[in-house]
Amino acid sequence: MSLLSIQDLHARVGDKEILKGINLEVRPGEVHAIMGPNGSGKSTLASVLAGRETYTVTQGTVRFNGEDLLGLSPEARSQAGVFLAFQYPVEIPGVGNLHFLRTALNAKRRAKGEEELDAMDFMQLAKDKAKLVELDSAFMGRSVNEGFSGGEKKRNEIFQMAVLQPKLALLDETDSGLDIDALRIVAGGVNALRAPDRAMIVITHYQRLLDYIVPDHVHVMAAGRIVRSGGRELALELEEKGYSWLGGEGVGAGKAKEARR
Amino acid sequence: MSAGLAHYLEVARTFQARGSANDPAWLKTLRAEGLRHFEARGLPTSRDEEWKYTPVSTLSAQPYQPARDVYAGEDVAAAVARLALPGPRLVFVDGRFVPALSVLTCLPRGVTLKPLSQALREDGELLEQTLGQRTRLGANAFTSLNAALLEEGALLTLAPRALSEVPVQLLFLARGGSGPVLASPRIVVVAGEGSEATLVEMYAGLGTEATFTNAVTEVSLGDNASLHHYKLQTEGDAALHLGGLYSRQGRDSRFQSHAFSFGGALARNEVHSLFAGEGGECLLNGLFVGRGTQHLDNRTDLDHAVPRCSSRELYKGVLDDRSRGTFHGRIRVREDAQKTDASQTNRNLLLSEGAQVDTRPQLEILADDVKCAHGTAVGRLDDAALFYLRSRGIPKQEAERMLTQAFASELVLAVPAGPVRARVEELLSAKLPGGARPEVTG
Repeated sequence: MSLLSIQDLHARVGDKEILKGINLEVRPGEVHAIMGPNGSGKSTLASVLAGRETYTVTQGTVRFNGEDLLGLSPEARSQAGVFLAFQYPVEIPGVGNLHFLRTALNAKRRAKGEEELDAMDFMQLAKDKAKLVELDSAFMGRSVNEGFSGGEKKRNEIFQMAVLQPKLALLDETDSGLDIDALRIVAGGVNALRAPDRAMIVITHYQRLLDYIVPDHVHVMAAGRIVRSGGRELALELEEKGYSWLGGEGVGAGKAKEARR
Repeated sequence: MSAGLAHYLEVARTFQARGSANDPAWLKTLRAEGLRHFEARGLPTSRDEEWKYTPVSTLSAQPYQPARDVYAGEDVAAAVARLALPGPRLVFVDGRFVPALSVLTCLPRGVTLKPLSQALREDGELLEQTLGQRTRLGANAFTSLNAALLEEGALLTLAPRALSEVPVQLLFLARGGSGPVLASPRIVVVAGEGSEATLVEMYAGLGTEATFTNAVTEVSLGDNASLHHYKLQTEGDAALHLGGLYSRQGRDSRFQSHAFSFGGALARNEVHSLFAGEGGECLLNGLFVGRGTQHLDNRTDLDHAVPRCSSRELYKGVLDDRSRGTFHGRIRVREDAQKTDASQTNRNLLLSEGAQVDTRPQLEILADDVKCAHGTAVGRLDDAALFYLRSRGIPKQEAERMLTQAFASELVLAVPAGPVRARVEELLSAKLPGGARPEVTG
């Protein structure tokens, strides 16, 4: 059975339609890559799945573990096991990184009827998970993403994912703006989190990431639709030919990206 | 004459007529002068520029009377146990001194602390010189009313180079019990050359009766002296609170004032700071948090009268429901006050559609070689930050609370780590929407 089942999903921001009929099935354990030019709707798809209220779903259904995902609040989606690694992680001055993450984990545990972790137990867990992406403890004491470099922010996203242990991870251009060392660390963290009961959707603009995170399926998005799906070889083909074969419709929709910000 | 003014005049006249035969002539003069000024000024009206946004009718809504007796019931003892920090303290209920709950045993050498009623008997010479030094002329009507009713409060003196490491606390509990009550405490701080101390003024409410606290604090800092002043005001929903802090700084002195304004139906916090000697530093911080229909006024007036002084001012407001806040900050840089370095910032967070804030910075700069910066902002919670927290599973209300707490934390963290900060964190946590999770991040 699919973990995530998207059928004919349409979404808009204001009066601009960005997703125009997405269909996608993701089973537990699978890694899907979604590629495509700027403005094709890749990041919008991730935001819609996470519950960003900027977007209005006008048509279609999304089932997660058999349940209607679109009816849930962002926090309920997270508690059910959806995790979005942000393309642009938000800086939140005055909210400590650890306090934030412990609050998040405990909200999830509460929702599942589990006991909350106290500060000591949480600290131990955080220390273990931080090793995965080589974050040192100095980061943890700081405010959420405040003053972090681009690479540190992305590592912090993967660190959060490691702590929250989602069933479905949406990685939104996690590779963008990373130099090769940071990319290796981030990809290493992601690979360590691959598991038979966990699926990932890796959204990327660049083939390079897929050298480090090897997907089971590759989809190409253009103008709000998935226009091609295939195995890993599709990514290689894109690397060779670029996106130009998609035609004017696909590469010309750069405005949608601005609207999303 | 308005009925409100007539009532206060009656209260003051009765008080002065009853006055003790032992009161020295200068004190009688001071009170009479206060009464005269109060009468001449009258109660503020909404046409008064200084009180434009304040619901002035609240000021005379009740026939407030000074409390007659000292009350020290169990509720008072419980409140003191809850609020007091370790160290010396004076406790007052409705303006009356409560010796049994006060602690005066642990004062460092060179530091004296006593209730004003006692000081008026024992330290007449000092008080004659210092009382009203900064407040006699041009003060607002209620500062004059405080002078007209002057009898209780506190005197803190620091001998030259005296050092008080534990905070000295003044606890003012507004309780009422037999009708609307008026407390008029006067606090006098005289810090000798090179002395250092921390003073905490706490104002809290007990019960639900109408109370009016009209407090005036006068601070005189000698050359190179340092005072950290904290005001924690958490009075009840029916309370009226007016506070005026008047400071005068000698050469190279450092003064910090942190005002946390959480309570009261109407609370107005005024700070009037004067640099009287070169090289002084002054920090004025304030955090006001309102909900329901609270009205929280903040008025600061910083007078750079001499050269080479620096001032930093940060006020933040958090307003929920239909509460309203004002910030009116004036900085004056006199003609001779070259090399002045002043900055003033006021930021406000509105948590609901019905909340409102009026912010008015006012810079009057007559010197030409100065650095002066100011900025104001009014905003709402950041949607992107809110979504980020929610996307990690944190429920909306809790996320909003975290962001609000983060906004306020800058002022909490400006208080050095220790018992005072811990108390501020606790009071803030109880005040913010959505229950008590006492954790402010660092």
